[in-house]
Amino acid sequence: MPLLDIRGMTMKFGGAAALTAVDVAAADGTITGLIGPNGAGKTTLFNCITGLLQPAAGVVLFDGEDVTGLAPFARTRRGVARTFQRLELFTSLTVRENVQVAGEIRNRWSRRDRRDARAECDRVLELLGIAHLAEREVTEIPTGMARRVEMGRALMTRPKILLLDEPASGQDEQETEEFGDLLVRLCEEGTAILLVEHDVSLVMKVCSYIQVLDFGRIIAAGTPTQIQTNQAVLEAYLGTDTTA
Amino acid sequence: MFQDFLAYTVLGICLGSIYAIAATGLVVTYSTSGVFNVAHGSVATMSALIYWQLRFDWDVQPLVALVLTVCVFAPLIGLILETVVIRGLRGTSEVTRLVTPIAVLLGVNGAATWIWFRNDQRSVVPKRFFGLSNVKILGQAVYYHQLIGVALAVVIAAALYVLLFKTRAGVTMRATVDDRTLLMLNGGRPDRASLVSWAIGAGLAGLAGVLLSPVQGALQVFALTLLIFDAYPAAIAGRLRSVPLTYVGAMVLGLSKLYFDWMSEAGTRWLALKNLRIALPAVLLFVALLILPQDRLRGAIVSRTRERFHVPTMRQAVTWGGVLIVVVYMLQKLMSGSAVISLSNGMALSLLAISLVLLTGYAGEINLAIFTFAGIALIAAWQFDVGPGGLATQKSMSVGAILLAICVCAIVGGLIALPALRLRGLYLGLATFAFGIIVYQLVILQTQPLKGSLFGWDFTVNFFSTGSLTMPRPHWFGIDFTDQRNFLMLMTVMFALIGIGLIALRRSAYGRMIVAMKDSPAACATLGMNIKRLKLGVFMLSSGISGLGGLMWASQQRTLANNNGFDGFQSLTLFMIAVVGGIGYVSGALLAGIFLSVLSVVMPEVWDKLGHDYPSLHWLFVSVMGNFTKFVGPALIGIGLGKNPSGIAQQIMDGFRPLRKTPLAVGIWIVGLLWAWLFAWQDVIGKWTFASIVLLSAVLVPPIIKRVHAERFAEDERAIHGEDLDQIGLARPFRRSDRAVFDSHLGIVPPEQELEVGRASS
Repeated sequence: MPLLDIRGMTMKFGGAAALTAVDVAAADGTITGLIGPNGAGKTTLFNCITGLLQPAAGVVLFDGEDVTGLAPFARTRRGVARTFQRLELFTSLTVRENVQVAGEIRNRWSRRDRRDARAECDRVLELLGIAHLAEREVTEIPTGMARRVEMGRALMTRPKILLLDEPASGQDEQETEEFGDLLVRLCEEGTAILLVEHDVSLVMKVCSYIQVLDFGRIIAAGTPTQIQTNQAVLEAYLGTDTTA
Repeated sequence: MFQDFLAYTVLGICLGSIYAIAATGLVVTYSTSGVFNVAHGSVATMSALIYWQLRFDWDVQPLVALVLTVCVFAPLIGLILETVVIRGLRGTSEVTRLVTPIAVLLGVNGAATWIWFRNDQRSVVPKRFFGLSNVKILGQAVYYHQLIGVALAVVIAAALYVLLFKTRAGVTMRATVDDRTLLMLNGGRPDRASLVSWAIGAGLAGLAGVLLSPVQGALQVFALTLLIFDAYPAAIAGRLRSVPLTYVGAMVLGLSKLYFDWMSEAGTRWLALKNLRIALPAVLLFVALLILPQDRLRGAIVSRTRERFHVPTMRQAVTWGGVLIVVVYMLQKLMSGSAVISLSNGMALSLLAISLVLLTGYAGEINLAIFTFAGIALIAAWQFDVGPGGLATQKSMSVGAILLAICVCAIVGGLIALPALRLRGLYLGLATFAFGIIVYQLVILQTQPLKGSLFGWDFTVNFFSTGSLTMPRPHWFGIDFTDQRNFLMLMTVMFALIGIGLIALRRSAYGRMIVAMKDSPAACATLGMNIKRLKLGVFMLSSGISGLGGLMWASQQRTLANNNGFDGFQSLTLFMIAVVGGIGYVSGALLAGIFLSVLSVVMPEVWDKLGHDYPSLHWLFVSVMGNFTKFVGPALIGIGLGKNPSGIAQQIMDGFRPLRKTPLAVGIWIVGLLWAWLFAWQDVIGKWTFASIVLLSAVLVPPIIKRVHAERFAEDERAIHGEDLDQIGLARPFRRSDRAVFDSHLGIVPPEQELEVGRASS
């Protein structure tokens, strides 16, 4: 059974359907890619999975449990964490505080646990390569680094699955390369990842399975090699040759 | 019976029509500029007074006066507001965008009072169009005035529909609030669209003001403003966007008021609920806010604002707390009795305002009913300490009474927050304001005692049953706090301790969670935070602090009448001044209380004294400056908030922070001030001389120190090279030297160099 199993997810904004009967699954210990053109519904799907939006129809099964009706915080406590396409950093806090507060939310009752959160925060900052920015205001750092802060914050919740929404945007080529290695390492350590990303080469490199969303519907699913040659995917990204 | 029903229905529709006009103006302004014009009621009031002036004082024809008021003067007020005030609010937080219109409200009302009512005896009585002429509809006599209201409401609804949905200007107006930048990229002119919408909104407010003013009898500025506030639930029913739903809301509102009149026999049937008639719109507003669907959790889109608040270290907090106590102690030694009372009033208000630092400054939530909590605290403590036995039974405020007041306020705060948990920003502000009005009308103005029985224990709670309550001062540790100077020191110590506590809380894990909740509730929810629980906790804690502050404020006043500042406007004023002072800082709360006391009490006294000392300039000091300070001064400070949304405390700190580099010079300055204080204490120099020395030195000494030690500050100027250029002007004030750095980064040759290059090449 997949760790995260989305079945028949439908979401409507007024009369417009953002998602129509979408089925998506992510297995434990894997990196699953979710790609699609702009406006395909990827972020809407993330919002439905994490509970920020209530879908019109469909269920979210996590670790075998139906979490569709749960509040966002309850889903996080079960092991679902995410980052955002449009940065959602705490602009009043420093880089360290942004990451640390996530641990403090998790360990909110015990003082000793909160102290541990600080030590864990140091480890996460080091892991993500942003320890040197720890005392900076988050509004001062470049976008690529800010995305790592968001990821560090999500890791502090000790997730079973990490939903990453365009985490590599704003990073240069070398940073993206290192970032890919980091994702693989996290996956090897036991965190499943559902990755939304426009950098197709990164997706092809790190993902073992890819699902493609277009106009709110899944149009293809398979291994990176299968997706690269899938006609429906090519048409979605490149359009149809009408002169043929 | 059925005939009565029909008659009240007809009258309800007439009243609802006028509410519809008022509420539609709000909707037009909000849906095209994104700013909820709290000052809508004051624009209506000003317009009604202008109409009255034209029609009855200058005998202008009714139609001409109406057209001039609604089509010229009121839109002009709207245009001025949009140009001078509203444009400066872009990129500011919801709190700032709420506070500035509050300042406008107070300013316009202050100006109206100054112009028409500075002589208290003046009575301005508006009359209906066509006097008492009426027509019978379903057996009910309906004035022509009311029919005009209904007809205009229908015409305006149709005209607005055509304007917003069938014309290019209307589409531009709606697009302005959706995506201003995108509109500009598509050739739209959002500034012009915003201007038009504010002119229309103000025109509609003016029309509603003229139509509603005869309801009131003799015109009263704040009462008429509240009458327009009655229309706000209709705008909320339309979710501030839908004109048709706003009309439906207005009709429900008008009919509810009239049906309640019918059932309660104009308030004579159920005495305990007689004020419900006045509070009904506030009740409906509260209910509408709770039951209508709200937007989903807010993300970062509106959280990147210009406000920045630094967090002091604990060492700094304790040091400054100590400095405050010492400074107040030294100052009160020099002050006259009346000056000590003024400073005590200010400190009491600061104690109230400090609860807003936690709630609004840290957590980003809004409470526009701060004085309501003061009233509740007073009622609770009075029951505990004084009760029916009177003051003779209790000479000192007890610790039990304080704890009870804090607990009751915390519980009431929690009860309010519980249903309002999903509200935020403007909606939460309106809900708390409505709550304040409900409590004011049904509890604080309540003359009927509440009798009940709980587990066999019969109890009677007297609210303000005799119209006022007297709270004894404390008498603790052998210190008699009926002595004003002792009480001032007690409040100062309390303020310092609460301030230090708040800073400790802000620096704790709990504080980080609160701030994170303010910055991005959406991110917090996805990090496992139960936002509702945290928000409830913050609301209860803040309400408890406001209960303590309110009790001290009540005790400072000694005897408090039930009409003393509980009607909502004083809460608005304190909230506004606290934001202006710097809502993210404990020092901002201190400044707020002192400002309010200085502006409302001290400054008028100073102008009076000057007018008395210099009779030839009496007109300038008393008539102009005195009235200006009294009526418009606080509002002007609030209106300027858009320019510096982080508040005055931040500005002061920014000004003095560089002086840390010259400890010796600062030390000499402080020692000099201490000597001056010593001389003043020993009457070697006068008190005013000492005050002048302090003020002048605060203005002159920092620039002198910076000039003398220019080489030490030069490093600051050079530090810009390592800074994030995007943050200049946000993280710190813009300096003249920044321009050269921007020029070099952008490859721009400064004009003077360009000239030199040109000369050299020729």
